[in-house]
Amino acid sequence: MAEKMELRDVEVWDGNMAAAQALRQAQIDVVAAYPITPSTPIVENYANFLANGYIDGEFVMVESEHAAMSGCIGASAAGGRVSTATSSQGFALMVETLYQASGMRLPIVLNVVNRALASPLNVNGDHSDMYLGRDSGWIQICAFNAQDAYDLALCAFRIGEDHGIRLPVMVHQDGFMTSHTAMGVRTLTDDVAYNFVGEFKPFNAMLDFEKPVSYGVQTEEDWHFEHKARQHNDLMTKVHPKIKEVFADFKKLTGRTFNLVEGYHMEDAEVAVVAIGTAVKTAQVAVEKLRAEGVKAGVVGIRVLRPFPFNEIKAMIKNLKAVAAMDRSSPNGTVGALYNELAGVIVQMDKAPVMNNYVYGLGGRDITIAHFMAIFEDLKANAKAGKVQQPLQQFINVRGPKLSFLSQE
Amino acid sequence: MNKGWNEFDAGAILFTFNEKVGNISEIHSEDRPYSPSSSFTASVSDWRIEKPVFNKEYCIDCQFCWIYCPDVSIISRDKKMVGVDYDHCKGCGICVEVCPTNPKSLMMVAEGKDEEEVLAAWPQKDQEKNNG
Amino acid sequence: MLEIRWHSRAGQGAVTGAKGLADVVSTTGKYVQAFAFYGSAKRGAAMTAYNRVDDSEILNFEKFMKPDYVLVIDPALVYSSDITKDEKLDTTFIITTPMSTQELIKSQPKLEGRRVFTVDCIAIAQETIGKPIPNTPMLGAFMKISGMYDIEFFKEKITKVLGKLPQKIIDANMIAIQRAYDEVK
Repeated sequence: MAEKMELRDVEVWDGNMAAAQALRQAQIDVVAAYPITPSTPIVENYANFLANGYIDGEFVMVESEHAAMSGCIGASAAGGRVSTATSSQGFALMVETLYQASGMRLPIVLNVVNRALASPLNVNGDHSDMYLGRDSGWIQICAFNAQDAYDLALCAFRIGEDHGIRLPVMVHQDGFMTSHTAMGVRTLTDDVAYNFVGEFKPFNAMLDFEKPVSYGVQTEEDWHFEHKARQHNDLMTKVHPKIKEVFADFKKLTGRTFNLVEGYHMEDAEVAVVAIGTAVKTAQVAVEKLRAEGVKAGVVGIRVLRPFPFNEIKAMIKNLKAVAAMDRSSPNGTVGALYNELAGVIVQMDKAPVMNNYVYGLGGRDITIAHFMAIFEDLKANAKAGKVQQPLQQFINVRGPKLSFLSQE
Repeated sequence: MNKGWNEFDAGAILFTFNEKVGNISEIHSEDRPYSPSSSFTASVSDWRIEKPVFNKEYCIDCQFCWIYCPDVSIISRDKKMVGVDYDHCKGCGICVEVCPTNPKSLMMVAEGKDEEEVLAAWPQKDQEKNNG
Repeated sequence: MLEIRWHSRAGQGAVTGAKGLADVVSTTGKYVQAFAFYGSAKRGAAMTAYNRVDDSEILNFEKFMKPDYVLVIDPALVYSSDITKDEKLDTTFIITTPMSTQELIKSQPKLEGRRVFTVDCIAIAQETIGKPIPNTPMLGAFMKISGMYDIEFFKEKITKVLGKLPQKIIDANMIAIQRAYDEVK
């Protein structure tokens, strides 16, 4: 039996420790890991808990992130509760296996501490790696601070492991801005957390010798499409109801509320920014200042990136006059991915807000309250004119001449 | 077998058996409840151009053919050679190649040939080879 | 909101100091944040760490900060790092140095007219803990200048934070904190 850890009601943890504690409380059977900055402390802390008797499990040291996820796939197919963590280049190396995991419907929880992708090499936070996983068939849930990273990791097991879902889940947190920023995290006791996550119930496990099963089959044009269709159907129809159910249970347990999309002052907002990660929080400070000035400003935080909450966003932004899509990844040749996602929503609206796009925070570059104030100035002008008054895409806080694209004149 | 997308097990997994099985290693393959997705229920007999014919008369039950067959198509019971599983044999001829008896206890013949006729015309012992 | 910036060298314990302070403050029901700027910095490289303290949830994740306090725990950084960056009119500087405050300002004129206090955390740490780890003594000096908590209360709380260290080390840290509290001018 694993030893229990005494936690205070509020522990000062950074996002990495918060995620590691969630893994400990969920009593993972196997972690196969190849550590990479800034997610290293998640698996390091897990190994520490394991070595000190706080977990009954296995830590598998491997030679690459490709092998780490491969190990997770094997352990998950065998019938265990499995998790690991990665970032950036490691995530990129994992990509091939991410599709294997989701295609085999293995409920692995991957803690992704988001970091820029080289070149040039950079260890700091942006969303390049998160965006790289967009089409991988995983559920993607986004934390905005360390508390979220703890809470959502616990929720992730419940969501992914459900026998009606059986899909892997990424829990994203911003590299350094969340992963290395300590804050007071409200904890659950080990028993309460474990009861919430629930005992792992194997499903079509390879180690069930009474019912031998093959994972990793080949299907050509006669079968492949049907399997992919099945996976997409389950993502589109089953996952959101399950996430809502788990979030509702979590709220009952803790009082903490999570939604597919988080709205801040969106009830009567006329202008709003849409963002992911810590920027959602910082934007809220700007919105508070603007509200004090009488500006009806709001923030939309994408909590669940996949499956994309199309209808929920549509409902939330229906009264907006102007909206900004905030992308923390270089689109490298088009508008930002979030802009594109939102454009898909907006094109179906009767009374669509005008939308523009900001690229910000690459490689950990700061985004400040002052930046958001300036963005809201743009949005106010766009709302008033009923059309975008600047080039569609602008870069924020980059040195050199003002950088913008897609002028609409 | 033309299932729709909604009729699969999630994860493109394949079950070997139709039902729960116990001590499967103690049940002969022909008695196991193999599912349609198991290769055991598929026949590759039409892949062959030649087939191996077994002649019990010369067999010493050395099991070489059973060990070397890449398609598990040599049927052996209690270490006694019984015959060839013609549903899964692809006609590669390895069993004949490794057979150590003189004359061989297995011989490759054209697929359509009658087995009785082949056995009746089985080659004689190769004197030269044995003396050598 | 109270905002603090630490100037340190990687390895001197600024991150631990910032987290330790956050830990103590958190026990009093306040909201805290502690973070640092990391590069691929080696031990000895100049770095900064940060604290935010507030009565309500801290939503601000910008790295930009106009600090209320600047804590410098390595004497040389006064000359090589921009310790007055983004200062406010009333920013308070607590600086580790063997010099007196007057001598320090004379040697670094850009501190002229600032609210500057000095204490030799390096010497204190070496004489008490036996290692030049000036983070805990700086917290003692900070308690004196900020008046944040009664020093006995703070020592009791920080003892719990240091938790698993050997008792001898904890005792030495308590002496270091008290000395810096007494000696900061």
